[in-house]
Amino acid sequence: MGEVRNRADLVIYWGGNPAECHPRHFTKYALMPKGKHLPRGRKDRTMVLVDIRETKSVKAADIFLQIRPGRDFEVLTILRAIVKGQYVNPAMVAETGLTIEQLRDLVDRMKRARFGVMFFGMGLSMTRGKHMNSSAILTLAAELNAYTKFVAMPMRGHGNVTGADVIMRWTTGYPFGISFDRGYPRFNPGEFSTVDLLVRGDTDAALILGADPGATMPQPAIDHLARIPTIVLDPKVTHTSRLARVHITTAVTGISAPGTGYRMDEVPLPLRPALKSPYPTDEEVVRRIHELVRVKPDWLVHQPRTTQQVF
Amino acid sequence: MLRITGGRVYDPANGVDGQIRDVCIADGRIAAAVGDGARTLDASGMVIFPGGVDVHTHVAGGAINFARAMTPEDHRRTVAFIRTQTQRSGLGGMAPTTFATGYLYAGMGWTTLNEAAVPILSAKHTHEELRDVPIVDKSCCVLMANNEIVLDLLENGELERAKQVVAWQIWASKAYGVKAVNPGGVAAWKWGKDAKQLSETVEGYRKLTPGTIITGLAQIIDELGLPHPLHLHCNNLGAPGNYTTTLESMKSLEGHRAHLAHLQYHAYGGDDWNTMRSETEAIADYFNAHSNLTADAGAVLFGNTVTITADGPWQHLLYKLTGRKWGNLDVENETGCGIVPYTYRPSNIVNAVQWASGLELLLMIKDPWRVSLSTDHPNGACFWRYPEILQLLMSADFRRDCMAKMSEEAKRRIRLPELDREYSLFEIAIITSAGPARALGLSNKGHLGIGADADIAVYNQDQDISRMFSHPRYVIKHGEIVIEEGEIRATPLGRSYVIKPQYESTIEEYLRPLFEDCYTMQFENYPVELERVEHAELRNCIPAE
Repeated sequence: MGEVRNRADLVIYWGGNPAECHPRHFTKYALMPKGKHLPRGRKDRTMVLVDIRETKSVKAADIFLQIRPGRDFEVLTILRAIVKGQYVNPAMVAETGLTIEQLRDLVDRMKRARFGVMFFGMGLSMTRGKHMNSSAILTLAAELNAYTKFVAMPMRGHGNVTGADVIMRWTTGYPFGISFDRGYPRFNPGEFSTVDLLVRGDTDAALILGADPGATMPQPAIDHLARIPTIVLDPKVTHTSRLARVHITTAVTGISAPGTGYRMDEVPLPLRPALKSPYPTDEEVVRRIHELVRVKPDWLVHQPRTTQQVF
Repeated sequence: MLRITGGRVYDPANGVDGQIRDVCIADGRIAAAVGDGARTLDASGMVIFPGGVDVHTHVAGGAINFARAMTPEDHRRTVAFIRTQTQRSGLGGMAPTTFATGYLYAGMGWTTLNEAAVPILSAKHTHEELRDVPIVDKSCCVLMANNEIVLDLLENGELERAKQVVAWQIWASKAYGVKAVNPGGVAAWKWGKDAKQLSETVEGYRKLTPGTIITGLAQIIDELGLPHPLHLHCNNLGAPGNYTTTLESMKSLEGHRAHLAHLQYHAYGGDDWNTMRSETEAIADYFNAHSNLTADAGAVLFGNTVTITADGPWQHLLYKLTGRKWGNLDVENETGCGIVPYTYRPSNIVNAVQWASGLELLLMIKDPWRVSLSTDHPNGACFWRYPEILQLLMSADFRRDCMAKMSEEAKRRIRLPELDREYSLFEIAIITSAGPARALGLSNKGHLGIGADADIAVYNQDQDISRMFSHPRYVIKHGEIVIEEGEIRATPLGRSYVIKPQYESTIEEYLRPLFEDCYTMQFENYPVELERVEHAELRNCIPAE
């Protein structure tokens, strides 16, 4: 993010509405700040917004490209073709909702930029095409490096989700969707992701930390959480607390509990509490639960130590 | 208390070369004798080494963690550690998870490691990961040669102030040493450029060259008296013909101490990929004649791995060459990093030259005290494959067998077929333990003299060298048996070595406005608090007069 602040003269937001979802993104990092190599700040940057509808972010953009819903992958692929000077089928361009001139102009700006960045939101990564869309935008950014410096980064949100991702990776090798049911980590999004486990009814208990699935997940998942013993750790009562068997009130990390938050670019920031809380921290609650679970007999005690000994 | 009897002891720092003698341990250290009540391990038919020390590896922090995310396909095919009462679960493979890293290192008798590349900005992350690497002791090197505050000072010739800043930054990141990666080149990469020649001006600067950065940092580190010298990853890594850059870099370091990282990647001749050849002889000749330098091999083994380096521009080239996945991270104002999975193939002439060059350097550098075993994990190969390299070093016949599978064209470009040298166990103990401990300036490591840390590996003597070093009979860490016949017995937390160099407190007043100008973090949040480093042990500098 610091490099974006100091260097990025072309800033593209794709499938996101930072003005409302990441309100400090423009002012602190990507658009307004005067950077080391961009002394005039906003005047030295061009901002392009790609989305399916006009949001509040449009006002901040120099160029708004409105594409048809579900056509992100096609637009990205056409851009890759134009970057490489390959033939583009006009009929396919017509389907995207943009003109070939708009796309050529964008590629031209990308190649002329000294440092270009694409931030992509859930409007890209969670709509038709899903991870294929993310893959397409990352590939486009990689290929643009043949011409100039270009990077792409997801716009992440929801508290310290990046921190959870980072720690899961160093302890298990995977970011999410991990199963420990064989005693070692296995990864399969779609099979082991929380929402899939809940919808299938595969879990017989749930511990919810720093999330509110009761407000965001599909109804069958919520129904299952209500059926099984669900424990919620949260400073406040959430939708999930209302259907949980147990709610444990904890201190608010960053306000009354210390910790580390990871910024969306994985830069760790120390969190220092300003207040004292009568409630325990999340860490303390989990540690105390773990101490009690630990004394139970180990269900894997006669198992091999590594998979090498199994297979 | 523990007594190990009947084993052949290899303790090069104390001149012990395979004599059978007792090793006694009390309170976590080597002792002259222990009482009759001490537990005795019968090590008859076994060899006793000081615990291995890795001077250059990448096991924790943003870069390797990015590599983990990029290679789920490898995690599935690798050895997994299953959770038990004493052992956490985890995965081995190209980029092992943190707990598995500790188990795998200890599992082959290595007890100390140096994480070689830490950006200050994410040093908190590295220390959090290192806390989760059990058993082994740790140190780390902070990345400095593309730090824009330092570069600006070097550009203006303000060496004294640069020294103060470097000292402050070492303490801020709770590091042990200073690493320079592609000096100036990573900064240039922020504009999509590189810095290949020592005398060329770095992109974005008026007169600053990679050469000025190297000598400036080396001088600063010597003046601060850090126990480990400048840890240098030279410019122009991996490129055909780069040995001239490496020679120039070594020449510019005359009068200073320096450690040259993964020297193999900097020892190529030829003009392009089609004519690339080994130039290890020129490198080794210069190196042999200049005792101010130490190095680690950065050896390559054939097979799959994932390459990660702060050398962003090189990784972009590797991505273009291989067409495989590429991850790039830029760290604001300080450094960057690139990640590309890679497969070294014996049929590929470039890879064959790389494989041979690493071994050639280890065989042609005469003084084993100055060259350490490394693969630049995970770049050349994963650290858990070290025993394979030891076998290659100890058996010229085995090397010939391996070379028999290579093409004639490849053999014409390497020197390895002419080299008959075979390492002795005494020399192996030097390049795996005594030498790297000395290069790191860790006086309590790498030897079995009285008072040294009782970090010991006991191997069954075996004709199959690779098997011997892969499966120690016992591994002892700080006096505690952690591995016994392939089983993990205990997983104590290792210590972290941290340096506090002297600096004037006024340097913060100089840094703060600069920092607030170009960073996106609060100045107060930048330094790592000492409490965040698990089992920190402070080491002293001996500043030059």
